[in-house]
Amino acid sequence: MIIEVEDLAKHYGEVKAVDGVSFSVEEGEIFGLLGPNGAGKTTLMEILCGLRRVDRGKVTIHGYNLARDSPKVRASIGFCPQETLLYDLLTVRENFAFAASLYSLSSKRFKERIEFSCKVLGVEEFLNRRVQQLSGGMKRRANLAASIIHDPPLVILDEPTVGFDPNVKREFWELIKNLKSYGKTVLLSTHDMYEADEICDRVAIMERGKIVALDKPYVLKETIGGEPSIHVKVKDSQIRRALSTLKGYSSTLKDDEIQVFAPNPWEIMAEVSNKLNLQGVLVEKIEIVEPTLEDVFLKLTGRKLTEVPQ
Amino acid sequence: MNSIIGIAVKDIKTFFREKGTIFWTIAFPVMILLLFTAIFGREIPFSANVGIVNEDGQTSITESIISGLNNTGFLTLKSFANRTDAFHDLNATNVRAVLIIPQGFTQSLIMGRSNVSLVVDGTNPDVARLIDDGIRTFFTEYYKQFNPNYAEPIMVSTEISVVGEKVGYKENIVPGMLTYPLLFSSMVVSTGAIVFEREKGTLKKIRASPIHPINMLLGKTFAALVQTVISIVVMAVLAAVLLGPKLTWNVPLLIPIFFLGSMNGIALGLIISCIGRAPQEASNAATTIAIVLQFFTGMYFPIDYLPTYMQQIGRMIPMTYAAQALRDIMIRNATLSDLFLPMATLSMSAIILYGIGVLLYRRWVEK
Repeated sequence: MIIEVEDLAKHYGEVKAVDGVSFSVEEGEIFGLLGPNGAGKTTLMEILCGLRRVDRGKVTIHGYNLARDSPKVRASIGFCPQETLLYDLLTVRENFAFAASLYSLSSKRFKERIEFSCKVLGVEEFLNRRVQQLSGGMKRRANLAASIIHDPPLVILDEPTVGFDPNVKREFWELIKNLKSYGKTVLLSTHDMYEADEICDRVAIMERGKIVALDKPYVLKETIGGEPSIHVKVKDSQIRRALSTLKGYSSTLKDDEIQVFAPNPWEIMAEVSNKLNLQGVLVEKIEIVEPTLEDVFLKLTGRKLTEVPQ
Repeated sequence: MNSIIGIAVKDIKTFFREKGTIFWTIAFPVMILLLFTAIFGREIPFSANVGIVNEDGQTSITESIISGLNNTGFLTLKSFANRTDAFHDLNATNVRAVLIIPQGFTQSLIMGRSNVSLVVDGTNPDVARLIDDGIRTFFTEYYKQFNPNYAEPIMVSTEISVVGEKVGYKENIVPGMLTYPLLFSSMVVSTGAIVFEREKGTLKKIRASPIHPINMLLGKTFAALVQTVISIVVMAVLAAVLLGPKLTWNVPLLIPIFFLGSMNGIALGLIISCIGRAPQEASNAATTIAIVLQFFTGMYFPIDYLPTYMQQIGRMIPMTYAAQALRDIMIRNATLSDLFLPMATLSMSAIILYGIGVLLYRRWVEK
C-alpha cells in the first residue's frame, strides 16, 4: 500500500472537515475522491501533503509516517492543486528549474525529467515560453509537469480538470492514465462523476467529511446505483396512453420520461417498443440507462453531487 | 543549499521582469533623489546642541552672554572646561558647534572691541549655516541692548571643523539618499516576496515540498538583499555621476552598514508580511511605514530640525544610526572604532527584528 489512512479527523471549530476517514491506496492505481464541494476532499489531500495538521488519526505514505517523517512523505508526493501554481513571468523551463531546486535535483536528473515531461506530458512546444503566454490547457500541463518534476511515486491531483472544456478534459484524462502506465500512483479529487468513472480504478465517495462508500466504480454502480432501466420518451399528449399500455410492467413517469424497470431490460426493450407502436403511441426515444455514480451518490446521501450541502 | 539558491534565483528573475517592483526599488528612489536635490536650501526652524568654552572666567559680561545664548530658544548650551573636551564632543557629533570665549574677552570688550571663536561642524551645511547665522545675530542684538550706537564690537570668527573644507548640500544628501534603499527597497521587497507567494498560492506548492520553512525564508532574504544591493549601486552610481560629491567611498566600512541596514528593513518587511491579512494591506503598510520613518531618520534633513520629542523617536529607530553612520564614513572619514555604536545598534535590532519575523513566519506557516 502506498497510502494508508486510519481514523483521520480534522475539525475547524464545530465543522468536521474530515471525520474519522480510513482508506488505503495500492501502488499503481488511480484512486478517486468523489464528492461535492465542501465534502472535505481538499482538506484531506492537503493533510496528506503535510499542509495541514490533523486532530486525530494516522497517515502512512510510501512507508513513512506523516507525523514523524513529514519531509520524506512530502518528497514522495507530487502535489498539483487546482490552481495553476506557476510563476507567470518565468518560462516553463525556469518554473521547472525552481520546482526541481525545491527537491534538490541534480542537473543531470533535471534534464532527464525535462525529457520525461516533454515525452509524456507534451510540454516541449512551450518549454521556453513564459507562463503568461500559455493557454489554460498548456498551463495545466505545465503545472502537472512541475508537480512531478522530482519523479514522485505518488501524484496527488486536486480537481485536475475543473473548468476544462470536454476536449481538454479528455486530453488531460489521457495524461493521467499515462502517468499510471509509468508506474505512478494517482490520488485525485473530483466532483465530476464521469471523470471518476472514466479514469479511476477505485473511488471513495465523500460526504460531510466522511467516506460513505468505497469500491471500483462499476461495483458501486451495481451494488448501490440500482438496476439499469428502459427510458421512453413520447409526446406529452400521449404520455397517459403510454403509461396505460405499459401497465403490465413496473413503470413510472420521471422528468417527462417513462422509466420501465425489469431484471434484464435488454430482453424486453423490443417488446415495450412494439406494444407502444401497436397502441398508436409514437416513440421519440427509447434507451437503456445504466446507473451512474451520480445515482450512487443520490442513493447514499439523498441529494445530487452538484447540490451544495446545507 | 540548492533550494535556497533556487528560491533566490527565481525571485531575482521575477524581480527583473516585474515592472512595478523595479519602479519601487530603482526608479522611485531616483525620483526622490532628484526631487530633494532640486529643493535644496529650505530653512527650517530647529534646535541644536552647542558647546561653550569660557576661557575668560566668570565675569558679569560672560555670564550675561551665556545666559542670553541659553534663552535664544534654538540653542542648548553645554559647558566644557577646555577646548580639547569640547572638540572631542564636536567630533562625536554630540554638539554641532563650539563657541569659545577667549581669555581677556571682557577686558578687550571694555576697551572697545573683542572676538569670540565659533567652530562649526560643517558636515551638515544647513545646520552649520543656521548656527553661524543664529550666533552672529545674537551678538549683534546682544550688544545693542547696551549701546545702540556702537555697531558690532564683538567679532565672531567662524571656522568649519571636521573636514577642513565646507561641505555642500550634495555631500550631505547623498549618504542620506543611500539610506533610502535600506529603509524602503528592502522592506517593500521582503514584504512583497512572502505576500506574493501567498496571494498566488505558490506558497502551498513550496510548503508541500520537503524544504524547511527556514530555508525558504533564507532564500527570500538573500533575494531581497540582492535586490536592495542593486538599488544601492544604481543610486550610488547615479549620485556620483549627476552630483559628483566630494565623499569618501570607504567600501569595506560601507558594506557592513548597508548589510545591517538592509537586514533591518528586510526583517521589518517580513514582520509586516506575516501580520498583514491581504497582500495589498501588507504592501500599503510597508510603504506607509517606510515613508513615515524616513522623516525621523535624518535621511534628507538633520533630525535637529525635528521637535525634541520627534528627535527622541528618531533615535530609537535603527535606520537613524545607519544614516548617521553613512555620513560619518563618507563625510567625516570615520574609522571602524568610530562606528561601534551604529554597528552594535543595527546588529542588535536586526537580530531582534529578524527573530520576531522568523517566529511570526513559523507560526503563520504552521497554522
